[in-house]
Formats: sequence, C-alpha cells, structure tokens
Amino acid sequence: MSDIRRISTNRWWHKKNSWIFFGIFLFLVFVRISKGSIYKDFYYFISKPFWPGQFQKEVILNSIEQESLIKVDLLKKDNIRLREILSLQESYNNDNISAAVISRKTGSWWRQIILNKGSRDGVKIGSTVVGPGGLLGRVKNTSLFTSSVRLLTSPESKLGVWVDRIQVNGLLVGSGDDYPNLVIYSKDADIKVGDFVSSSPASTLLPPNIPIGIVKSVEEPLQAKKMAKVVLLAKPHVIDWVQILKVKFNE
Amino acid sequence: MNKFLKKRLSIIIFILIPIIFLWHPNWLGFLGIQPYWPLFWLLPWSMINGSINGIIFGLFLGLILDAVTLDSNFSQIPGLILCGVWFGRIKIHSDLLVGHFRYGLICAFGSFLCGTLHFLQILFNNFSNNNFLVFIPGVQNILAEVFLTGLFAPLICSQLLRLFKSFMGEKQDNKFL
Repeated sequence: MSDIRRISTNRWWHKKNSWIFFGIFLFLVFVRISKGSIYKDFYYFISKPFWPGQFQKEVILNSIEQESLIKVDLLKKDNIRLREILSLQESYNNDNISAAVISRKTGSWWRQIILNKGSRDGVKIGSTVVGPGGLLGRVKNTSLFTSSVRLLTSPESKLGVWVDRIQVNGLLVGSGDDYPNLVIYSKDADIKVGDFVSSSPASTLLPPNIPIGIVKSVEEPLQAKKMAKVVLLAKPHVIDWVQILKVKFNE
Repeated sequence: MNKFLKKRLSIIIFILIPIIFLWHPNWLGFLGIQPYWPLFWLLPWSMINGSINGIIFGLFLGLILDAVTLDSNFSQIPGLILCGVWFGRIKIHSDLLVGHFRYGLICAFGSFLCGTLHFLQILFNNFSNNNFLVFIPGVQNILAEVFLTGLFAPLICSQLLRLFKSFMGEKQDNKFL
C-alpha cells in the first residue's frame, strides 16, 4: 500500500514546478507565434518618453509658430507703415466687434443679415463684416441695438475686388443667387476656374486682402468684358457669429 | 385682459408678421426661399373687411416690411395694395365659403403677382447690360415663393379666417379705419 502511495505522489503533474515550466513554455510558444508582438508593444510604451524625435518635433514646431507670429506682426507693421505712406485704406486692426446673427434672409429677393450689435456698440454704416471664411458684406443700416448687413449676394451689392493670380481689379456684383458675378473690364483677362478673389488692395471702401471667394465658372467674353461666377468662402446661411471691422475712412 | 386680446387678435397677428418675416425659419424654406408671409394675413382680413381695408392694410404692411428690409431697389407696397384690393373683391363677388384649396390658389396667384412686381422693379432700377444676370435667380425666386405660399395658405388662411370671424364683429371693422 505504502509503495503505491509513494508512486502516486511522485507523478510529474503533482509537482508545482512542472506546471510553472509548462506555463512558461506555452507563453514562449505564443510569443513565437505572435512574432514577438507583445514584446514590441511593451517596448513601444516604455521607450516612448525617451524618443528623440517626439520632443524635438515639438520644440521645432513651437519655434516655427513663434517665428511665424513674429513675421506676421512685423509684416503687419510694415503694411500699416507703407499704407500710411501711400495714403491707402487701413488694413485690419484689432479693434473689432463680435456680433451674433439674429436674423438671416439669405434667399429670396432680400439678402441681408441682422446682427445683435448696433450704434450703441459703436457699429457704423459702411463697416465691413467678416465671418469664418472671409468677407460677408457691409453694414447698410444701424439701429440702437442692431445693424443690418447687405450681403455680397444682394443684387444691390457692388464691390471692387482683386484677382491675385492675374493681378487684375474687377467688380463683384450680386445677382440674387448664392454666386455673385465677377465682372472684369478686359476681354483678354486670363481668368480661370479656381482663381482666388480678395478685396482690392486699392479699395477705399474695404480693408485690403480680405478673402472673398473662388472663381467657379467663367463665361464667354461679352462687349469687352469678361464675367465669372464666384463661390463665396464665407457662407452666410450657416454663420452664427461674425466680426464687424471698425474701419477708419479716409477723409 | 383675455377679452381685450381676443378682440384685437387680428392686429396682434398683424404686428407679428414682420417678426416672422425677419425670423425667416430655414426649415420652412425651399431653395432658401420662404413663403410670402404677409399674404396669409391679408387674405382673410380683406375678405372680411373689404377692398378699402385691404388697400389700407396692404399699404401699412408694405411700409413696415419695406422698413425692415434693406433693398431700395424695389418696394413691396404696390404688390400688397393690389392683393388687398383683389382679396377684398373676392368677398363681394362670392358669398360662398371659399374652400381650403382655393385659399392656396388665391395666395399662390397673389404671391406670383407680388414676385413679378418685385422682379420688374429690380429690372427697371438696374436697367443695364447686366440685366440677364438677375433673370434666372429672379424666376427661380418667383416660382419657389409661389409654390410655398400656395402650399401653406390652405393651412394658415382658413384658420386665420375662422379666428377673425369668431372674434371680430362688424363693429370692430370700422374701428380700425
């Protein structure tokens, strides 16, 4: 009896160490089959803080950002100085008014938005209104608490604009739909689909270089002028907040 | 207070028209265009009170709506006055209860009349070579407005007519003049 008992306690599966070795073996098999993915992933996480590229990239990006900001600031100052010398309209200044759109008529015969800032807040008739994307229109009318903005799409809107690629001035005329017409008084103007349209640097009504839109289609020349449809970058039918630029008009 | 409000319900709704006009709820629109709201009030008012009242309140509506919109290209007064006269004459020529769908037809035609007058005024004021630029959007505006006005009129006009008739006696009619 005692012999039998001794044999049974000596079986390998009754030993703890055997199971530990078996477990390690299984794990190594798994590691082999998975081609070391666990190790690689583990290494990825523990080595992450010591990567040279990551930290370096952040430092470089910060430097680039700072450099760009300083450059923009210097260019702004330069621009203001040169514009003063040339007696042109002042460009952007930081004295803007944020306003919410409280009424919106972007379809039908009337193309206007009403803002929740009026003459009480210093809004003046003729001020430029910009939204995310670029120019929306100009303030046509103010009350004590509100101001009405005539959109670029209104048939009454006519603005001087600048086509940067071909360095030509044109006239942006609202046509009552969502795409105002760009009229260029030159039959040979090489205007193409995709050309960028901004406010004219020589404009006396608007601050210069405000993005307006992109040429969508070009029509055949007619009576010494060329016409194109423009897609506006700022979409008045979805914009809820706008900026009113306080513009100092030249006397 | 309640009685006071009921008696002047038509005038209260009249005051609300420019607000709805400015509100311009996009979800009610079609191609970004709204129904021509003033006609929904003018039709029942003129049918109850006649052409003279129609002219006067058409003029009032036109003045208010011209004031809240920026366009100096055109005025809404001529269209609303004409509609006021016409809607008033519907009452004179027909004692029959006008069916719901006829409201739609009448308002759609009124909207067509107003839209065409707006369009003609724009064309006349901008008489130049660029006229054809506004032609297609103009026609599109008129058609969308006619469609929407005709669609909503049976719902709104019949309810307003019922309300005005029940809350406004013949004596009140002259009071507003």
